[in-house]
Amino acid sequence: MESAEVKKHRTTDNIAISYTGIFDTEILSVLAKEIEGTLSPDDKINKKVFKIFIELAQNISMYSLEREQNSEGSDMGVGTMIIRDFDGYYEFSAGNRTTKDSIIPVMEKCDNINSMTRDKLREYRRLQRNMPAGKKGGGNIGLIQVALTASNPIEYALVKCEDGEYFYIVSVKINKE
Amino acid sequence: MEDIHIKGVHEAYFMPTVNFEVATGNCEISGESYLEETTKFYAPLLNWIRDYIDTVRGPLKFDIKLSYFNTSSSKCLVDILDMLKTYQKKGGQVTVNWYYEDSDEELEEVEDFILETGLQINKIPME
Repeated sequence: MESAEVKKHRTTDNIAISYTGIFDTEILSVLAKEIEGTLSPDDKINKKVFKIFIELAQNISMYSLEREQNSEGSDMGVGTMIIRDFDGYYEFSAGNRTTKDSIIPVMEKCDNINSMTRDKLREYRRLQRNMPAGKKGGGNIGLIQVALTASNPIEYALVKCEDGEYFYIVSVKINKE
Repeated sequence: MEDIHIKGVHEAYFMPTVNFEVATGNCEISGESYLEETTKFYAPLLNWIRDYIDTVRGPLKFDIKLSYFNTSSSKCLVDILDMLKTYQKKGGQVTVNWYYEDSDEELEEVEDFILETGLQINKIPME
């Protein structure tokens, strides 16, 4: 399944924190502590990355096509998250297996979010917050929140794996200033 | 009707501290809100407010001091604010103080809660 895009996602350059595996409560808690405590000397930046992490990690837990049972027997999503440290910004990436049908609306939502000004995005969040929750109980506004928190566009890639399934990667930059 | 007192927890999930007092109508939600079952946590809080409005009919003062809340929690916070707005429209005395940390994004979010619910919210920087 190693396409060039996925390899790029998995390159070890500039990695500050990376994890691949089951996205269950215990692991998320360990990763959250790493981000909150050690990523940047600036607590405001850590908080931004943490907020983005929570929203995107929850998406992997709930929606990844690849599932595993955790130690308590609960069915949780499997995926990858990487935080890279560059001059001037951090890049947060999250990836998981998916089906094309289920991910197309998500990619369209990213395009829609990226086309909006900040004020429009805030209006969109207000609108979405008053909509019924998503089918798995999500707030349905996670991606909007990610874009508002990062103040940068959401980048994404969809890669066809050799077994015919797809790997979806979402990335966002968080400026250090 | 009884008070609600919940001590906040910061472990795998983050449970906020909650203090709702029947005698004074003083209510506080503080700490961080990121829960495994968000609606299940907030349902008793919404029920308490509903009961207070129906039976006590006294003033309500809400102090919200959340340094972090995820998007699922924000939906429940909107539900609380909507309920307070409805009470205010019916003549109830409602004060909401929202304490925010020093960040433009957090101030923006409070302003959006005001636009979203039509409720007057006092924006106070957290010390």
